Amino acid sequence: MGIGASLSGKHVVLTGVTGFVGKVFAVLLLDRFPEIGRLTLLIRGGREGAVARFERIADTSPAFRPLKDRHGADLGEYLADRVQVLDADLLKPGLGLDPSSRSALSDADAFVHCAGVTDFDPDPKKALDTNTLGALAVAELARHARAPFLHVSTCYVAGTADGRVSESLNVGVSPNGTRFDPKSELDRVLQLIRKPKRQDRIERGRAAALELGWPNIYTWSKGLAEHLLAGMPGLDLTIVRPSIVECAASFPFPGWNEGINTAGPLAWLISTAFRRLPAAPDHRFDVVPVDLVARGMLVTLAAALQRRAPRVVQLASSDVNPLTFGRTIELTGLGLRRYTRKGNGTALEKRWFRHLDPVAGTGGWFVPFEVRGLVPSVRDGLDALLERELPESAKSRLSTWRRSLERMSGDLDQIDDMLTIYAPFIAGYDWEFETTAVRALSDALPADERDLAYDIAGLDWRSYWIDVEFPGLMTWSIPILRGREVPVDPASSPPLRLVQSQRAASK
Amino acid sequence: MSEEPASAAFFRVEGTLLTRPTAFATAWLAANAQELGGRLARLGALGAALPVWGADPGLARRLSWSALRGMSEDRLVVLGEEYFHEWLGGHLAPLGLDLLERARGEGRRIVLVSDSLDVIVRHVAEAVRADDWVANRMELRNGRATGRLVEPVVASLSGTELRTYADEHGLDLVRCSGYGASAEDALLLSAVGLPCAVGPDRTLRRMAREHRWPVVEP
Repeated sequence: MGIGASLSGKHVVLTGVTGFVGKVFAVLLLDRFPEIGRLTLLIRGGREGAVARFERIADTSPAFRPLKDRHGADLGEYLADRVQVLDADLLKPGLGLDPSSRSALSDADAFVHCAGVTDFDPDPKKALDTNTLGALAVAELARHARAPFLHVSTCYVAGTADGRVSESLNVGVSPNGTRFDPKSELDRVLQLIRKPKRQDRIERGRAAALELGWPNIYTWSKGLAEHLLAGMPGLDLTIVRPSIVECAASFPFPGWNEGINTAGPLAWLISTAFRRLPAAPDHRFDVVPVDLVARGMLVTLAAALQRRAPRVVQLASSDVNPLTFGRTIELTGLGLRRYTRKGNGTALEKRWFRHLDPVAGTGGWFVPFEVRGLVPSVRDGLDALLERELPESAKSRLSTWRRSLERMSGDLDQIDDMLTIYAPFIAGYDWEFETTAVRALSDALPADERDLAYDIAGLDWRSYWIDVEFPGLMTWSIPILRGREVPVDPASSPPLRLVQSQRAASK
Repeated sequence: MSEEPASAAFFRVEGTLLTRPTAFATAWLAANAQELGGRLARLGALGAALPVWGADPGLARRLSWSALRGMSEDRLVVLGEEYFHEWLGGHLAPLGLDLLERARGEGRRIVLVSDSLDVIVRHVAEAVRADDWVANRMELRNGRATGRLVEPVVASLSGTELRTYADEHGLDLVRCSGYGASAEDALLLSAVGLPCAVGPDRTLRRMAREHRWPVVEP
């Protein structure tokens, strides 16, 4: 049975549609499978309200372009006939759902839980509340509805256990082999991080994570969630673990990205004066385009609806089509070179990036951290000069230099922080994630759905990285790191509203 | 009634369509290696191959391409495109292009022959809408150049190579034309029915005179 047949008439509940992966998954599902019975979206509405928030996103997010292109002015009606939006907050007891909303979920056929905090080093309180307790709360709804629960986790719950990572979960055994009771551990750490200062909470959270072999708070919160969910009696659980999710290869369109993913900061770093990345060149950099993740999730959801989904499904690339850090860094440099050659950036940048390619490795020349110690004294010197009586032109030039100095100093601090957070992933460990399950599910797809197969082996990294990923990052992610706005699509006129068709309303 | 074999026009790229020598491409690629130190070493290796060109062009060609050893396939592909756009695209020889269009107008299959690398020649072929091209390929191991060219190394095409190509593509060499500019192209011109020397060097000019091959000047 294919995906369409599995989804036909079914009620699927999705969290995280406002995020990167959730958005692409929802749009792909709605674009390809209009036969779905109902897609309920659990969205934190805030002051705007959940429905209005979804309407705004559907109207202006570039991710919705395929649906807009297909349905035009009728998109509001098309969505209203299939989508139900409920106001829900992972941080509130019972997700903050009112009784009627809870009852609307009791007939659900499957739950897909995409929502979560994806920062590498968030406040542990927020990470545990969202990624761990939030997941348990959504799973409780699935258990109540006796519906399969797809929990979107991350391959990096493998933590310090690198090498080949199988699609399995050994409940109560942490990445460094420590035996632990997930419930007691959760209670313990919730107590441990009960500190008023954010920095204290982060330090305690990091220490607790490392104790069990998780390199940061993010993977720890996701890892704990997996162990706790696996211990929930009566829960039909499938854990979907994407690795590093990056720009779309083709859907909703090539290069689409949202927010700052892992490669974004690395590309940004390479687009600064920084030339030597402290990464292990031969280690695998496990990246998957977001549309392949969405496809993998769809294939898994179809299997879950047929009650034949495996317990763990990894969506990664390193086992069948590995990309190394060395190659990624070279491709990023080549992408930047082509980007500046085609008229982007200044003439100086064009020359700089052409003659000084980024390389992977430690030490070496031009690591500009040493100059940071000079910043305060140079700044004081410039300030002293600015206080003197100087011609306006000289003052203007000195002020420009001072601003450049401040910006450079800020960049170096940001780079330093970034490298500290990324170190375990780019230089410390080398993971190879098995993807047997999703490839087996893809192989069973009928001919008319073969284009939805998880075909990571067929991805040409050179063409993807230079023609799709790098320009995508420059458009959708790097501006955020530079404190600028990213483009959104213009709202429709009149703005998109979820108004059911008469046929659907009369049902 | 059996179909008449097709005819083709073989253009040796260097000299007829491009005035820039292949050695320049090698030097440019070497000068754009990833590591700065590596660039200098590669250019040094190229310099060492220079004195050999006069005595043994084949050996010199192999020596010069070895300067690219260790460069990634990714880099060669991206740089090949950049090299074409920056150094070749706007400098295609008008006479060569004119001859090529005439051959196309006569219904001939356009085949480019080059001793440069495929990563560059494919863009030339695309720009002149050639039907096929024959060029050198760098041997790769684990995505990196070994510094050796894949055999057979293309200089120009010899009579045997041309006959093999003609057999594979159903061509009648007597009806085919060939365009070359240097002594290296003499074998190619000898093997086709309609040879033409394009702005030939001294040796090819002498041979053209001896064999009564037409000579066109830019």
